[in-house]
Amino acid sequence: MKKDYTIYNLQKRLLCIICIVTFAFILIGVKLFLVIVVQSKSLQTKAISQWTRDLTLSGVRGSILDTNGNVLASSYTSYNLYVRPASIIDAQNSADTIGSILNIDSQKILDKIQNKKVSEVLIQKQISPEVALNLLGANLNGVYLTETSTRQYPYNNLLTSVLGFTTIDNDGQAGLEDYYNRFLVGTDGYSLTDGTITGVELSNATTQYIAGIKGCDITLTIDVGLQQILEGVLEKSLTEQKATSALGIIMNAQNGEVLSMATKPSFNLNEIPREDVQTLLKLSKNTAITDVYEPGSTFKIFTTASALSLGITNLEERFYDPGYRVVDGQKIKCWKTKGHGSETLVEGFSNSCNSVFMDLGLRMGVEKFYSNLKTFGIGQKTGIDFNGESSGILMDQNIVKNVDLARISFGQAVAVTPIQMITSICGVINGTLYQPRFIKSITTQDGIKTFNSIPVRQTTTQQVRKDLNYLLEQVLSTQGECQFVTGYHIGGKTGTAQKYEDGKVAQGKYISSFVGTYPASNPQYVLLLCVNEPSNGMYYGGQVAKPYGKEIFSKLFNYLQIPPDNPDMIDTTNLVQVPNVVGMSILDACAILKSIKLDYYFNEEVEVVFSQAIPEGEFVEIGTIIILG
Amino acid sequence: MKVLNKVFYNKNAIIIFFITIALCIFGLIMVYSASSYNAQNLYGNSTYFLNKQIIGFLLGLVAMLILANVNYNFLAKLYIPALILGIVLLVVVLIPGVGISNYGARRWIGFGAFSFQASEVAKFCFILFCAGYMTKNATKMTTFKGSLPVLLAGGIICALIMLEPNMSVTICVGVVMLTMLLIGGMQPKHLALMSIPIASAIPLLILLEPYRLKRLFAFIDPWASPQGEGFQLIQSLYALGAGGMFGTGLFNSRQKYAFLPFSESDFIFSIIGEELGFVGAVMVLLLFFVLIYFGYKVAINAKNRFGCYLGVGITSILAVQVLLNVAVVSGAVPPTGLPLPFISAGSTSLVVFMAAIGVLLNISKQSRV
Repeated sequence: MKKDYTIYNLQKRLLCIICIVTFAFILIGVKLFLVIVVQSKSLQTKAISQWTRDLTLSGVRGSILDTNGNVLASSYTSYNLYVRPASIIDAQNSADTIGSILNIDSQKILDKIQNKKVSEVLIQKQISPEVALNLLGANLNGVYLTETSTRQYPYNNLLTSVLGFTTIDNDGQAGLEDYYNRFLVGTDGYSLTDGTITGVELSNATTQYIAGIKGCDITLTIDVGLQQILEGVLEKSLTEQKATSALGIIMNAQNGEVLSMATKPSFNLNEIPREDVQTLLKLSKNTAITDVYEPGSTFKIFTTASALSLGITNLEERFYDPGYRVVDGQKIKCWKTKGHGSETLVEGFSNSCNSVFMDLGLRMGVEKFYSNLKTFGIGQKTGIDFNGESSGILMDQNIVKNVDLARISFGQAVAVTPIQMITSICGVINGTLYQPRFIKSITTQDGIKTFNSIPVRQTTTQQVRKDLNYLLEQVLSTQGECQFVTGYHIGGKTGTAQKYEDGKVAQGKYISSFVGTYPASNPQYVLLLCVNEPSNGMYYGGQVAKPYGKEIFSKLFNYLQIPPDNPDMIDTTNLVQVPNVVGMSILDACAILKSIKLDYYFNEEVEVVFSQAIPEGEFVEIGTIIILG
Repeated sequence: MKVLNKVFYNKNAIIIFFITIALCIFGLIMVYSASSYNAQNLYGNSTYFLNKQIIGFLLGLVAMLILANVNYNFLAKLYIPALILGIVLLVVVLIPGVGISNYGARRWIGFGAFSFQASEVAKFCFILFCAGYMTKNATKMTTFKGSLPVLLAGGIICALIMLEPNMSVTICVGVVMLTMLLIGGMQPKHLALMSIPIASAIPLLILLEPYRLKRLFAFIDPWASPQGEGFQLIQSLYALGAGGMFGTGLFNSRQKYAFLPFSESDFIFSIIGEELGFVGAVMVLLLFFVLIYFGYKVAINAKNRFGCYLGVGITSILAVQVLLNVAVVSGAVPPTGLPLPFISAGSTSLVVFMAAIGVLLNISKQSRV
């Protein structure tokens, strides 16, 4: 460069500029290195999540099986319909097509798919495979189906309150579906598809599927055959007795397995009334576990068991019943106001004479009686595998007066849940109290986990339960029919309890119940039936509940193919057919019954017969008492 | 080599020419890669941006070859008309109806299908003015008074560009002005004195427009507003990070699928980083560096003062724009829109830069080396 045109060092200044530029380039290079190489991993991870559109593939929910492997609940593959608005070409046409296939308002669909703000929008859940095929056949752009599953219950309204149901998203919502949800739910899988920011799939996109994992199958102790018998009879009792509800439980006394349990009325699990929350809550509640009732005479089983255990009475001891007892100056009536007169414990138990049990209760005293009741499991949760169990109501020991004690002794002023009642009865007649359960086994990926019976504690000695079982059998063999179900040794006890509303006795509202045990000497099958608010004229447990108990047992024997254990007793020469006496005057009715050698019983107030305990057409032994109402 | 020397006059020119062509062709490939998806979506033609870029490249090539063979000294007489042209363009662009608005700024002048960015032309007009004026008044340039016309012209142009508004080009012009004054002989103390109002103008301009403040915060912590102000920077970083050392391979960018806004123009360097990795990005930077180095070399060896000033101006504007663009893309400075010379989609920028390189080639041709 010529010196003459530089009056300052231009070259030096240029060099300075080059240095600055070089330095800047190096800085930028370092910054690039930091971003592209050093932070690469963390940036990539974040970037990948925005590059892919993921859709859930739900893991199929496990099935629920009965003890014999019959499917009670299972899931079939169905589809959720999604639309990616950005990929829709003709919104109106797409909406119309989808609407006509799904049979829903196309305007609603149109509103959804015109919302360009979202990359995916859910149109409809749980579409059946056939409808899904139609949708695919329509060849619409931007329409996606993801796999999900729909719960189905092959037995419709059977076991409704026990099985419970799931939410629309296959999550346990009630019953065993809820209790065992964590085993039943599957693990969701995903489908990942390369897409643009608006959710449009790339033309060369690869879709990666990560399959869902099926949930565990659970096998219940429930026998669907017995369940059908139980529910059939309960339905019948509802209509015949015009009852508001009815429930029943059959339990294996020797291990606490619930063989069947039902509450009626119920609803079809395949058509869950989700819109009518009130009804849904009411009907899906398993009142056999969640609700308490005053047991009445069936509770006398515990009074007797306790007294026998304490050795303060024996089967031959005589009692006198004038029709009432005066406790602390208060007169407490027996159900038969005329009184049962002189009777042994066996007869008192059969007669269900309140006076006898008041004597026993007072003789034991609160402390000993309560101690035994607690041993039997009264006033405590049974621990059954079900949500929402109640513990029953047992008055605080410290405030129990003699009057209360007397009433508790024959089943008043105490409340139990049906599951607690049957569990404790099984406990005292079997000697061991078991924790009741529905679960038999869970089938996992790794194998089958079987659940064993869970003994809680010893309850009664061998002698006591021998006496108890004898007493129970005598109830059915002396109360009218010689044989409850002809040819079988069955034990039983009936109960009639007043209902309380707002702390007062509700007039005319009763819970009629029946407890049955088979075989009587060493029970395995124990039945509890409760008919709530029968309003067809009768309310005694012996009239309202017992006949259905009989029907259940005879069907049970037939279903389980149990041969008669008492064939000698089948003697047809002594049988007569019960006539219809309903509608006759009480005198005419008595005359007719007398003419064919049947005995009868009625309350004095009755003038015209409007009900008879044993229905027309049944064969009964000569001398059977027909209770008229 | 002899043939090349005959065509291109000397070694510096050969290098500058080939690097320019290489960058332009590389730019065409990258524009296609980055824009084909968006072009298909917006215009139904995947080569929409590529076609426009090819036209720009051909026009630029013609301009470059013509200017390379025209004695640049004729430009020295045009320094005042150049300044007038620049100012007129910048005023015209502000007139509604003539200037075309896009993304909230009025930057384009359109005549039917043809449109160009006024400030792209104006910044070169300003360089020409500086070079011409400083040559004519070389002896006065050491005084503050002598440098006043440059400051005044620069101030007017910066103010007009800010009205569009276009912060990044303003910064470019400002930095180039300082470079020109430095090379023109301004005393260091004056330079230092000048930087005070300029330094204080920047925070003022930021406070004037709330969106600039938001961008500044987004730059400090882009993750605070990943869907808002920080979005573009985050998407740019995703692209670079996804590239890693060697990149995902040419045409394999994922960020170009509408994730990264302006992926074919201001943020094309992110796509380069994603597809070609750190290695590819550094190679591109190196090419630019070599080009800039030889640009300055041509300026030093220029036949006369005007050639030297013009060479420094052209090279400096190239350097500032490359550095600023890559700094924005990599998150080193707050986001501001500025094309990467020769590579970003945008034909005005391409034609103007290629034409400028043509002038540089002519300066080289007439140099003493």
